[in-house]
Amino acid sequence: MSDATVTLSPTENVINAPATEVDGHDPSMLISMRDIWKTYQMGTEKVHALHGVSFDIPRGEYIAIIGPSGSGKSTLMNLIGCLDTPTQGQYWLNGKNVSEMDDDELARIRNQEVGFVFQTFNLLARATALHNVELPLIYGGVSASQRHEMAKQALTAVDLTDRMSHKPNELSGGQRQRVAIARALVNHPSILLADEPTGALDSHTSAEIMDLFERLHSEGNTIIVVTHEHDIAERAHRVISIRDGMIEKDERIR
Amino acid sequence: MRILRSDIYENLKMALATLRANKLRSFLTVFGVVIGIITVMLIASIISGIDVSVTREVESFGTRSIYISKFSPGIQIGRRSREERMRKELTYDDAIALQSLPAIELSVPFLDITNNPFGQKLMVSGGGKTSAQVALQGTLPEFEKAGTQVISEGRFFTQTENDTNQLVCVVGSKVADDFFKIGSPLAQTIKIGPQEFRVVGVLEQREQFLIGGGSDDQNNVIYVPFNVAQKLKPNADDIYILAVARAGLMEEAKDQVRDTLRVRRQVPFAANDNFGMETSESILDNFRSITAGLAIAMVVISSVGLMVGGIGVMNIMLVSVTERTREIGVRKAIGARRADIMWQFLIEAATLTGLGGVVGLSIGWGLTLLLRLLLPSYVPLWAPIGGLLASVGIGLVFGLWPAWKAARLDPIESLRYE
Repeated sequence: MSDATVTLSPTENVINAPATEVDGHDPSMLISMRDIWKTYQMGTEKVHALHGVSFDIPRGEYIAIIGPSGSGKSTLMNLIGCLDTPTQGQYWLNGKNVSEMDDDELARIRNQEVGFVFQTFNLLARATALHNVELPLIYGGVSASQRHEMAKQALTAVDLTDRMSHKPNELSGGQRQRVAIARALVNHPSILLADEPTGALDSHTSAEIMDLFERLHSEGNTIIVVTHEHDIAERAHRVISIRDGMIEKDERIR
Repeated sequence: MRILRSDIYENLKMALATLRANKLRSFLTVFGVVIGIITVMLIASIISGIDVSVTREVESFGTRSIYISKFSPGIQIGRRSREERMRKELTYDDAIALQSLPAIELSVPFLDITNNPFGQKLMVSGGGKTSAQVALQGTLPEFEKAGTQVISEGRFFTQTENDTNQLVCVVGSKVADDFFKIGSPLAQTIKIGPQEFRVVGVLEQREQFLIGGGSDDQNNVIYVPFNVAQKLKPNADDIYILAVARAGLMEEAKDQVRDTLRVRRQVPFAANDNFGMETSESILDNFRSITAGLAIAMVVISSVGLMVGGIGVMNIMLVSVTERTREIGVRKAIGARRADIMWQFLIEAATLTGLGGVVGLSIGWGLTLLLRLLLPSYVPLWAPIGGLLASVGIGLVFGLWPAWKAARLDPIESLRYE
């Protein structure tokens, strides 16, 4: 049996595929999107939120996705964050094809691979900062003592060592967003996905948060910021502009 | 599906925090459950209390006693059948015949001269008081040996007194209290009908329950010699017999009494008995069939209460799911699966109703302590355990739909929910 088996090594496979592609994607990339379509049925009409979007994001990149409202950038963000699956096309995240996963598998991917940062922080109001940060670990099945340790580390990483037992209403906006960032980072996800992270903050605090992103990036995290503000997007190293459900521009700016 | 213990513990902590944040609403919601559990506790302890009292009273009539009368025991509803109305009375000789049975220790007849369908009541008077409410029974001195009535003062009347028609009597404690307020009733006289009787003995007070007052009062009784009773009311023929079985021979005694009476009363083969036999056991069986009915009524009543409570819980949980749509979205975004959300809300609902159950149990417990002043009641173990299980179960059942709704929410729409 083993004698008859012909195993194709990755190098042999490459012969039939362009450059570094394996199974239709580039395995060296953290994110590979191939011809992604998202279509909504609005009454009798079909609305295409995304028309065949393709791009790759390597590990450790700091990238901004920018576009006006209605451009499809929220839809793209939901797909990247595994909150939704594409109508058509393939999405590989960290080597896994997530475009055909069911609800529970997606939940697991979100738990392990994605750290969300929201515009309005979305912390649990009645829970302390520490408990908020522990929450993803609870769903990840991490033991209580380990959870505590990891959550403390994450809060230390965002300079909130002295605010761990405070509840969200006892914290400033910037501190709340830093708790949210700690929550996003606590599981050591593949990507940090921020949706308008400074939308609810004043310019001074915004700058602080953006500095924090820069630092996290320099520490090796992959960061994707979705925004409509150009000055926020310009802090990134690469900007993908979305318009009418398609990539209008994909440029490296630093 | 992964349900670690720590998950349930975490969920429990979250649920308690949520309930603490909405104290008043939580309390109002589980009010129905609280009432339902209190009902279970109270009725269970009332039933147990009545059961203890009745058992105690019935057993004081003697666990070896067989009461034989013309009619079957139990509550008579409607007119008696023709066969029953045609039944002949038991006789003094029947009692004497039973006395010689091997499994019978003693057998005494009673002639009830309190009343009969045609005669007038015999008035009892003494110490300036007159009453028609005293039960008057003629019996034999052997009655004392049955041990169901104990003499506290004086003595029982003797066989000689019976044979020579002496006007002597033994009075119950209530008669002693009512007619002889000053001094001991012993050697004093009491007038029964036209004749004066000398009191030779006073009976100890019997404990009694539910049956109180009038001629039903077990202490409001006068025993006179059987022969005297017959003379006092010649047309009285209302005889019943008390037979006491030898120790350990209750079943044999019942069989022998039945066989003997069937022969003496000429009951055809295969026909039913034309007399009734009652033991403390059969009285208790009868009584317990009534309390079983009560228990079923209790289950129905309290389950209506619990049902109403459950609907309240479902309503508030639906509100809670809507209010916390965004929270559910966040939880899903950071990795909660459907089952996680489902458990979160189920455990919250069960905690809510479970706490309601605990409150109900504590209030119910307090009330049963008060009840103990009236009845020798206790709370059977099944009541609190069943009550707690029922209250938690209600949370799980009525929380199911809200929890399912929460689990099915779309994370993207939930995150957008204002």
